[in-house]
Amino acid sequence: MTLRQAQDGALRQAQDGARTLHLNAIYSAAGGYLGGWRHPDAPARAGVDFGFIVEQVRKLEAARFDALFIADLLGVPDSHPDVLERVATVNDSLEPLTLLSALATVTRRIGLIATASSSYNEPYTLARAFASLDHLSHGRAGWNLVTSLIDAEARNFGLDAHPEHDDRYRRAEEFLEVAYGLWDSFDDDAFVWDKDAGRAFREDGIHRLDHRGEHFRVAGPLNIARSPQGRPVIAQAGASPAGRAVAARHGEVIFSGARRIEDAREYTADLKRRAAAIGRDPDEVKVFPLLSAIAAETREQAQEQYALLKTLLHPRVALGDVEYWLGSVDLTTYPLDGPLPELPVSNQSQSAQQQFYEAARRDNLTIRDFADRVSDAEGIVVGSASDVADHIQEWFETGAADGFNVGFPYVPDSLDSFVELVVPELQRRGLFRTEYEGATLRENLGLTRPETLRAAKVADVA
Amino acid sequence: MSNIRRQRILDFGAMFSTTGGHLAGWRYPGANAGTDLDVDEAIRLARLYESAGFSAIFVADVVSIWGHHLDSLSRTTRASYFEPLTLLAALSSVTERIGLVATATTSYNEPYTIARKFASLDHISGGRAGWNVVTSVVPLEAANFGRDSHYDHAERYARAAEFVDIVTGLWDSVADDAVIRDKESGIYLRNEGRRPLNYHGEHLASAGPLNISRPPQGHPVIFQAGASEIGRNFAARYGEVIFAAPRNIEEALEYRRGLNEALVAQGRVPEDVRVWPSLSPIVASTHAEAERISEQLNALLHDDVLRRAIQDNVGDVDFSDFDLDAPLPELPESNRSKSRAAGIIALARENGYTLRQLAVRYIGGSVIGTPEEIADRIQEWFEAGAADGFNVSFPYLPGAAEDFIEQVLPVLRARGLFREHYGDTFRQTLGLDRPDWTIAELEASA
Repeated sequence: MTLRQAQDGALRQAQDGARTLHLNAIYSAAGGYLGGWRHPDAPARAGVDFGFIVEQVRKLEAARFDALFIADLLGVPDSHPDVLERVATVNDSLEPLTLLSALATVTRRIGLIATASSSYNEPYTLARAFASLDHLSHGRAGWNLVTSLIDAEARNFGLDAHPEHDDRYRRAEEFLEVAYGLWDSFDDDAFVWDKDAGRAFREDGIHRLDHRGEHFRVAGPLNIARSPQGRPVIAQAGASPAGRAVAARHGEVIFSGARRIEDAREYTADLKRRAAAIGRDPDEVKVFPLLSAIAAETREQAQEQYALLKTLLHPRVALGDVEYWLGSVDLTTYPLDGPLPELPVSNQSQSAQQQFYEAARRDNLTIRDFADRVSDAEGIVVGSASDVADHIQEWFETGAADGFNVGFPYVPDSLDSFVELVVPELQRRGLFRTEYEGATLRENLGLTRPETLRAAKVADVA
Repeated sequence: MSNIRRQRILDFGAMFSTTGGHLAGWRYPGANAGTDLDVDEAIRLARLYESAGFSAIFVADVVSIWGHHLDSLSRTTRASYFEPLTLLAALSSVTERIGLVATATTSYNEPYTIARKFASLDHISGGRAGWNVVTSVVPLEAANFGRDSHYDHAERYARAAEFVDIVTGLWDSVADDAVIRDKESGIYLRNEGRRPLNYHGEHLASAGPLNISRPPQGHPVIFQAGASEIGRNFAARYGEVIFAAPRNIEEALEYRRGLNEALVAQGRVPEDVRVWPSLSPIVASTHAEAERISEQLNALLHDDVLRRAIQDNVGDVDFSDFDLDAPLPELPESNRSKSRAAGIIALARENGYTLRQLAVRYIGGSVIGTPEEIADRIQEWFEAGAADGFNVSFPYLPGAAEDFIEQVLPVLRARGLFREHYGDTFRQTLGLDRPDWTIAELEASA
């Protein structure tokens, strides 16, 4: 099959309305599993080794992944020192927008989705950085909007504690509204570059915003032309009620932490229903559950690799992860074989805390059970290419997923086996593309390019 | 690590633009127009400067459109451009040795964010990051960040000092030898090599530690351009390379003398700080031809552009009705860059310029001549101690940069003043010490 035929086929499939599976790589340079950095084949400096990261991303692009996604924290968590000295990612990671900008010029098609917080940034700064990334990458930028999680982040920005949950979602929505307005500062056809007349852009093609809201006052205009995608793709991961509302209103790519297929179906249906209820096309809301996978030629080999991986996680680190998701608490004073203690509602991630309590009640779990689940990397799919593809196909075809946020427990091996074994199997089954459909991330995700919001014209910007 | 002082050698920084630094450069015949967001042209130029042995690419910035009046702004390339840190990150992966200097303001950023981004750029580029610390000057910037007006001059420098203290403190929050990544023991980062900052200033606070290992250069190189007294003292406290815009060699020498005094007062060694005046060269095979190019460029400046170029730099008076062919009227003092406003006004008064003459001189203030003449000028400043290097702005592109590289640099090379001198890091290229920071030093300082 020639490249042209492959592209035509992909486009035809998209035009026929057939659903297309999407794959997004959630890339943690040192591996997604907390002990992954200790794997014998993992380069120890992976967190800040840009050359190594480029190699991995080029493999993902060759496998036709829709996008690369970088998660983020704005600080080192308040974990116990015995935990902190044994983990890689939170201690030693590149800032996402800087990393993705550097990748923009050494990749061609893969989307570049950076996490950025609406709680500890200004809208002008982020609107500008993402527009700049969209221009640098010829339309491949995406923004995973988060409201941040932990008090340690707040303290790096001059606050004692993280803002209250509902307030930071209100700020997030206003933040996005400002960004939308700033991205439309210039009309798409504002720039004329008429050398003879000495005219760079039409005076009526630029607009100031003059936003005045509860959290922000922003005059605009933004100092960059409208970007190739109009706006970067907006990704969101809200799971609490407030988070789901924001995701349904604004999210185009929705990350979900659902681990059971029935939870994923409920979440996907709920998000699409909420989006439709406010007049959005549900097909423009793509839900991506997390999929962490170890694939190998045979199921037995995959199990061996998984067994080796589990030996790399120190038990204190596993407990530390439970403490973190419960809201950065200290569990060392409670008996390991006792129940989860009653703790105040987390201001960090309410949905994560709730998931723990629901599981504890449902399955009658002890603290040790939860730590074991971390070291077991619960939810990880271990098996042959066919096993992993079966999982993907079932979730995709039964309304639990439009695509997957694929995590790699350790690099490069679990990434290599996914692109070398699982992706070809998905392509054989006709589930996944063999060529990119378009040039921009929006085109590959099947999302429309937004028109400018703007109608009002202004005489001057000063 | 002690500084083994290299033989003094010229550094050139390229003031980065894909359309040229002259306000009408994009209108010049054959010049780039509409390439401000053309990443391929940006890559071509970055590689051109690197192959020519430039020490750095420098990206200037304001966090708003760069001009207040549509009649003028819509005739320039100052309304739409890449954000510097994303641009330099994008260029870092397609270059290997050239320094990457991004402007970032202390008035409208958070220090944790800036510390992290520059540390990241330093890691990605293998130790080539530089930070041009500015406090912002354009009133429109304030309005994009929820303020009715800009911080006043003294307050923004006070905030800037806290900001830089926090950023450097965050870069030092993890010792060089703390991140051991020992797979066998499972220890990634030795706790004794980490020191939270817990900074609580009058304007800013940040707890730290930073969530990335120490930058390859220890600290990315600090650039500064303060020229007023308070600005110069700030530069003397923090700056490693200082941008300056003196009008002549006497001013440049006077600036250097004042800076050296301020450096000594801060307990610093003057030889550890470089001064790079700005230089906008127009080179041609004859002096007359270079003059002709300059005149042709200046003739492409629209009256509105001339008028606003001065207005936007001297204060808050509306120039709309000013006669371009009359002398510059009396003006009140400004809260913007004081040194720049005073310099422009002095330029007009000393020469009896009309507003048009002043604007053409200010915008089109190029060094014009044959390759030998431009090399003479560079040599004179360098050997007199008025300059350690130059921040070079090319009026139009392509053309002006290529001419400088192909015609002026060979003359300087032949005179033994310039050669390619890349080190393993940007600091080494510049002959600056790396600020080392080990666990032993951390413990001794506790």
